[in-house]
Amino acid sequence: MMISRKEKYKVNLVWAIGIFIAWELLAFFLEQVIHDPMAAAKMPYPHSVIISIVQNFTDLMSAAGLTFSRAVFGFALGAAIGFILAIIMSLSKIAEKISLPYLIVSQMIPVLGLAPIIFTLVRDMNLSRIVIAAYITFFPVSVNMLSGLNSVESDKKELLYSYAAKKKSIYYKLMIPYSMPYLFAGLKIAAPMSITASILVDMLGSSGGIGVKLLYSLYSGTKDVFWASVVTSALMGILSYFIVILFEKICIPWRKQTT
Amino acid sequence: MNEKIKNVLWPLGFGILVIIAWQVGIIHDALGFKPFQLPVPSQIIKTLSDNFSKALADTMITVSGALVGLALGCLIGFIVAVIATQFPKWGYTGLSVIAAFNAIPIVALSPIMNRWFTSGFAQKVGVVTVVCMAAMAINAYRGLNDLKPFAKDLLESYAAPEKVIFFKLRLPNCLPSVLTALKINVAAAIMAAMISEYFAASTSGIGFGIKDNLRKGMMAMGWSYIVMAALVGIILYLIIMLIERRAIKWHASQR
Repeated sequence: MMISRKEKYKVNLVWAIGIFIAWELLAFFLEQVIHDPMAAAKMPYPHSVIISIVQNFTDLMSAAGLTFSRAVFGFALGAAIGFILAIIMSLSKIAEKISLPYLIVSQMIPVLGLAPIIFTLVRDMNLSRIVIAAYITFFPVSVNMLSGLNSVESDKKELLYSYAAKKKSIYYKLMIPYSMPYLFAGLKIAAPMSITASILVDMLGSSGGIGVKLLYSLYSGTKDVFWASVVTSALMGILSYFIVILFEKICIPWRKQTT
Repeated sequence: MNEKIKNVLWPLGFGILVIIAWQVGIIHDALGFKPFQLPVPSQIIKTLSDNFSKALADTMITVSGALVGLALGCLIGFIVAVIATQFPKWGYTGLSVIAAFNAIPIVALSPIMNRWFTSGFAQKVGVVTVVCMAAMAINAYRGLNDLKPFAKDLLESYAAPEKVIFFKLRLPNCLPSVLTALKINVAAAIMAAMISEYFAASTSGIGFGIKDNLRKGMMAMGWSYIVMAALVGIILYLIIMLIERRAIKWHASQR
């Protein structure tokens, strides 16, 4: 069933307004009907959250910017290492045999839970932020990229071999462009996770960033700033996802968008 | 030597090499770590075996919270996917709303849950539920709708009602994607449970154990908890893989 663009827009608008109203009603219900003394902390009115974001805008943005920039740096580093490792694994069977089982096992291990350990090892806030974000990005990127490199159809490769193409030009012209969609699938998984990692490190004892805002407002009870920071960090995660999609559109314009 | 043994020997040899290098201090020298920062493997194993009953009890607390949340989250995610399939016009956006939850950092979720629930267990379950919902909803929706070409047309030409199409075609078809979602969610659930313990008021569980022991400077004990977390993650993943092997024998990925 095809839904026209205009109709889809209408449906989305109704949903957005519906959620807003449901939230308002729920907040009203908590405060006025049940008389929950913690109502404002548990479920504040959405308009009061928006007002608080506007009021603390510069403050929130500078904190978010600090967290975001570290996450981006680690993300880029992790993506680069993952990319290179995938190429090495596709070039050498032995390298693949050694590292692939560990890559798979490491996906079963709750990596983010290890953040405090890395923090105690590195002992530097900014560095450990970058290390953790890079570490988290690295796995999905390399696994996805490798599966892309391995799924190039062999007749395409054979055609290039029959032209006596060099290994280098096979990679440049066929393998790497072919596996770009796979690479971006990995990047899409990793982007919100690297933001999460960066916020987590903030909360473990950084001096600035959105995570510190979350933690302070949580304990000091300044309720509106707390919800404003939660919304900001959620928006950061969603933003990171869309940045990756934007890059995907720039890098592989030949592919139809299916998200 | 045949291919299969080689496939095991290469990574195994590499792993043993790394552990030996770690044990004799090459890694410490190379990266400039002090022994109190990074305990050697033998010390971790000894600490773990000394405190095994306590570590196991804490692990059970975390895992039980993670599993309850996993079940709840997967159930909600699946129901959303079914609704989105049966009512595509209005339901699809609901799916996008759930998918947006995926981008919300866990660390922002757990303080919210702290405010909503007072018991540590309920907080954990709440965080894990939200984390697991998105992956299941997206994957199940894909499985319910990526039908083989003409399969739905065939059933419709038999005048099969929507209910029959759903139970005979869509439901079996979504099984592989549901299992994929489960595999993703197992690791995510344990991770979410651990992180929620970092910030919750709870005084037990793997997350609390890691945080508390590192704060007290008992690195080896903290590392033992990490070993436990890794083991639990691997065991749960293997269980899902076994179920997968039995449940979808007919699927291409298993042949």
